[in-house]
Amino acid sequence: MAVPLDLPPRSLSAMGTSKASPMYNLRSSVVSTGSTTSLASLFAGTGASLPRDIVDDIKSVIHHAFVPHIAVHVSQDVNEIIREKGLPDLYQLIRPYGEKVQGRITARDSQGSSMPFEDFAVRGRTAPGAGTGAGQWDGGSAEAMNSEELPLVDELLDLHLSHAEELIETSLAAETEHHTGQAFYLLYLRKLLSGFPVTPHETFAHPVACLIAISSRNLAPIDTLRQLYKTGAEMDIPGYVNKEYLRYYVLVHDEDNDDIQKSTALFEQMKRHFGLHCHLLRLRSSLCIVSDEDSVPLAKSEWLPASEELAELRSRQDDEIEGESTSRFIHGSDESAIKTMIREMVAQSVIPFMERNIASWNDQILSRRKGLGGRMLSFSRRFLSSTATRSTTNSATASNFDLTTNSYDPITPEAQMRKLADWAFMLRDWKLAYDVYNTIRSDFNNDKAWLHVAGAQEMTIISLLLTGQAITPKLRADTIDVYLDAACYSYVTRFRAFYAALRCLLVTVELLRLAGGSSAELAAKWAIRSLDLNVQPTVGKALISQRVGDCYAVRQGAGSGGWGGRRRKAAMWHILAAEMWIRLGKFAQARHCIDVATPRYSGTEFVFIRRFLEQLNLDSGHVDLLDLGSLKLSGEKEAQNGGGESLVDLADGDGDVQQQQREREKEREKGEDGEKPRFDRKRRSILIPQTVNGDAPGMMTMTMDESFDDRPL
Amino acid sequence: MAGSSTSYYFVIIGTKDNPLYEAEFGTFKQGGDGVPKFREEQRHMNQFIAHSSLDCIEDLQWASKEMYLKAVDKFNNTWVSCFLTGGNIKLLLVHDARSDEPIRQFFTDVYDMYCKTLMNPFYEVNMAIRSQIFKAAAKKYL
Repeated sequence: MAVPLDLPPRSLSAMGTSKASPMYNLRSSVVSTGSTTSLASLFAGTGASLPRDIVDDIKSVIHHAFVPHIAVHVSQDVNEIIREKGLPDLYQLIRPYGEKVQGRITARDSQGSSMPFEDFAVRGRTAPGAGTGAGQWDGGSAEAMNSEELPLVDELLDLHLSHAEELIETSLAAETEHHTGQAFYLLYLRKLLSGFPVTPHETFAHPVACLIAISSRNLAPIDTLRQLYKTGAEMDIPGYVNKEYLRYYVLVHDEDNDDIQKSTALFEQMKRHFGLHCHLLRLRSSLCIVSDEDSVPLAKSEWLPASEELAELRSRQDDEIEGESTSRFIHGSDESAIKTMIREMVAQSVIPFMERNIASWNDQILSRRKGLGGRMLSFSRRFLSSTATRSTTNSATASNFDLTTNSYDPITPEAQMRKLADWAFMLRDWKLAYDVYNTIRSDFNNDKAWLHVAGAQEMTIISLLLTGQAITPKLRADTIDVYLDAACYSYVTRFRAFYAALRCLLVTVELLRLAGGSSAELAAKWAIRSLDLNVQPTVGKALISQRVGDCYAVRQGAGSGGWGGRRRKAAMWHILAAEMWIRLGKFAQARHCIDVATPRYSGTEFVFIRRFLEQLNLDSGHVDLLDLGSLKLSGEKEAQNGGGESLVDLADGDGDVQQQQREREKEREKGEDGEKPRFDRKRRSILIPQTVNGDAPGMMTMTMDESFDDRPL
Repeated sequence: MAGSSTSYYFVIIGTKDNPLYEAEFGTFKQGGDGVPKFREEQRHMNQFIAHSSLDCIEDLQWASKEMYLKAVDKFNNTWVSCFLTGGNIKLLLVHDARSDEPIRQFFTDVYDMYCKTLMNPFYEVNMAIRSQIFKAAAKKYL
C-alpha cells in the first residue's frame, strides 16, 4: 500500500475552503474519526507480526535512502531548452523519474546470482559548481553531519502536519486513517534520509556516475562535451571524492525545432568518440499546458531534501495567494522519453559499471587483504613502520589516513574497500556489504580514524539487520548493542555529528522493530536513546516518542494474559506523545495516540493517570471511545424525553453507521469481557453541532464527565 | 540527586493492575522532613512509570527466585524497584537514585505489615488499604 505522503498540490489551498461551515466544531468530526481509528487499533493489535504492507513501506524507505547518486552536468544550451518548457533545468526535470526506475532492474551479487529489483532508484544531484546545488559539495567533513538539517526537517513536518490537520477536520473518517498512523513518521524518516551530506567517511553521497548533456542546438557539440568532461573533473570537489565515476553522455534533441537526421548523425559521432554510454533524448521544447492533448503532470520528487521542499512549499503558497496554479505539466512523449533514458542508463551503464567495479575491487583488494598474504603484509607493514617512518616527516604511522583532512585518499585500499561496501550496499548485496564493513572496521580502528570507524560500525549493523539473519540474544548483546553504542559515542562526543547519530539510530530502530519480538524492545530502547540526544526539535521529538510506543506495541505477549508483552509501556509512550502533540497544537495526532493508548487505561484506579487522561481528552477534543455506548443511550433518552426535535439521533441519521456501531460494541464487549464500567459519575448531555456528513448541521448528544471522584491518596 | 530533594512514590499493586495503597514521601535522611517534593506534572508520571514497569516485572518474575527484584525499570532518571509477594502483589517504589539495600529493608518491613493486613478477617485480596502504617517504615530506612 503506497500511502500518498506528499500532499497533493491543492492541499495548501484547502485552508481556504475548510472553514466554510460556521457551525464548524472541533468535536463534531472527532466522533467519527475517533471511533474508527480506535476500533481498528483495539482489534488489530493482536497479530504477532506487522502487516505485510507496513513492512514493505519501511523497507522501501530504507532501500531508497541508500541509492546511487548521479550528478547532472549540462551545457547552457540544454538548460535553454528546458527553460522554454517552463522548468529551471534538466536536473529538475529528470530527478523525479530517477526515484522510480521503470520496470525491473537486475543486478548480480558477488555470488553471481542475479537479483531482480522492482523498485530500483537513483538520486540525481547537481554537478559540483553548477549553480544551485553547489552548497551540497562544500560540506567536507564531520561538520556536515551535525544537526543543521534537523530543524528544517522539523519545520517541514510541522507544515505537513498542519495541512493534514486541516484536512482531517474537514474530511470524512476513512480518508484520515492514513494521516494519523505511521505515515508521518515515515515522512519524517524519509526527509531525514533524503539529504545525505558529502562526507569523507562514507561514499553514499559521492557520485557514482555523471550525466553530461548537450543539446542539438550546440554548434560545437563534441568540443562542448570534452569541455564539460574537463570542467566536471576540475571542479572543486573535496579530495576524498573519487573522480573516476562513470560518464554518461546525453544528446538532447529538440523535437520542435531541430532536424532529427542531423541529431542522429551527431549522435553517431558521439558514440564513436565516447563509446557506448550515450543516449539520445528527444524532448519537445514548447511549453506544455494542461489543455494540451498529451499533457501529464510533472512527477513530484519524494526525496527532495527538506530545505528544498520548504522553499518550494513557501513559493507555492505565495503563488496561490496570487491565484496562479503552479502545477507543472510536460508532454507525455517527454515523460516516456525521460523514463526510457533513465532506465537505459541505469540498466545498461550504471549497474554494470558498479558490478564491474565491485568485482574488481573484490578481487584485487578484499581477497588480498583477507588472505594469508594480506594479513602478513599488513602485519609486517605495521611492524616495520614503527622503525621505518620515524625518519620521515610525514606522520608517526605508515597508515594511509590523512589526519589533517580526516580522510583517506580515494586510491588507498581503505577508501576503495569502503566504496566497495557502499556500492554493494546500494545494489542490495547485504551479505557482501556486511563482510566488507566488518573487515574495514578493524583497519579504521588501527588507524584511529574514528569517524570512519563509527561509519563502518553503523553500516555493519544496518547491513547485518538487512541480511535477515535471525537475531540471537548473543548477537544483540555482542554486536548490535556494542557497535551502536560506540558509533553514537563517536558521532556525538568526538564529532558532534548529531545528524549522523540520529540517522544511525533511527534506521537501526526501524530494522529492529521489523524483526519483532524482543528486538522490538531493543528498538524502543534505542529510540529512547535517540530522544536523549536532544537534537530533534519539537515535532521530531513527538514523532519519535510515538514511535517508541509503536515499537513497544510490536512486542506481543504470550498466552491469554499477554505475558512478556509491552502493552503498558506502549500505552505510556503513546500518552506522552499525545501530550507533546497537544502542546504543538496537532490535535488529530494527539487523538490518534490517545485512541491507541486508552484501552490500556480504561477503568484504571490510578487517580492521577485518570485525571491526566481526562485533561488530555479535554484538551485535544477527543471523545472517549468507551463513552460511545453511553452516547447513544443518552441520545435516545433525550429523544424519548422529547428533549428536542432538533436532536438527530446518531442512529437515525445514517442506518449504516448505526449498524456498524452496534457491531463494534458487540465486538468490544467480547473483547473486554467482564470488565466493570469504569467509575460512577454523573452524566450530562450537551448539545454539539454535527457536521460529519457535511450537510445541514444536525444535533447530537454527547456525554461529558461532570466530575471525577477526587479521592485523596 | 541532592539528598534533600529525593522523593519517593510507593505503591502496592494488586493482581489486576489496581493500586491498593499509594504514598508519596520525601527522604528522612540527611535531615529530610519526609515531605514529598514532586512537582505537579511528576505525580501522574510516577503512576505511569509504576504502571508501565509491570511489563518488565512480568518478565522478570519468572526468571528470579528472589522476592526482591531490585531495580526493574528505568525511565529517564527515575528508577523503579520491585518486591513481589507470594500472592503476586507487587510492592513498587519509584525513586531517583539507585540504592538497593535500604530499599530491600524498607520492602521487608512493608511486606511484614502487608502480611498482617492480610490476616485481618475483614480484608480480602485486592482490596484497597487505608492504613497509613506503611509510611512509618519509610522513616527508618529511606
